[in-house]
Amino acid sequence: MNRPPMLIHLRVRSENRKFGLWLPLFLLIPLALVVLIILSPLILIAILVLWPSGWGKLALHVMKAAWGLFCSMRDLQVDVQNRNECVYISVI
Amino acid sequence: MTENQRKILEMLSQNKISTDDAYRLLNVIESEEGGHESTVKTEPGSKSKPKYLRVTVLPNADNEHAADVDRVNVRVPMSLIRAGMKLTSLIPSEAMDKVNEALRDKGINFDVRSVKGEDIEELIEALGELEVDVVSARGEKVKVFVE
Repeated sequence: MNRPPMLIHLRVRSENRKFGLWLPLFLLIPLALVVLIILSPLILIAILVLWPSGWGKLALHVMKAAWGLFCSMRDLQVDVQNRNECVYISVI
Repeated sequence: MTENQRKILEMLSQNKISTDDAYRLLNVIESEEGGHESTVKTEPGSKSKPKYLRVTVLPNADNEHAADVDRVNVRVPMSLIRAGMKLTSLIPSEAMDKVNEALRDKGINFDVRSVKGEDIEELIEALGELEVDVVSARGEKVKVFVE
């Protein structure tokens, strides 16, 4: 599995507004991990409750796939611009 | 017979696509290789694993309104496409039926349930040989390729 992305660079420019953001994922991921650990008993109970219906297993697979999808976003780059507007997203 | 035609026939023999789909795809390939403005090229020599799918839209530099036209430069990692396609296996069966029905309504006779892991790999490998180059009447150049 790929390493998770470390930064997201977001830049939006319109005629009357300019907005740029560097999102430090390398700081946010440990925080999210702490939150996940705190919530893990609740998540575990929810999965166990939902297991007989099949949704628990699906939830586990979805979580794994979501993490995989997040890790795969590294190197994604979207750059759309014209004279007045610009949207730039870069996942590093 | 080109590589693309052979792949389509293989997919047909493996019942991955219907006869209609194969006919349509073969027609598209034939017309594209006939020297139209849009071209789909295969490079049998290049077998390196593709890393990114690139989509670029560039205006014609000679056009006086070139600055007003959107410029698009998108780079999608192949791993993201792979991960996204693997998500189809997580779609609940009730939703799969709806997806299949919606596809049928659009004239695409394809069962989403039949997409398997190895098919995804094969599809992504085949993408490595894809290059689409379209020049619109206004001079905009659209390129879809892998690198």
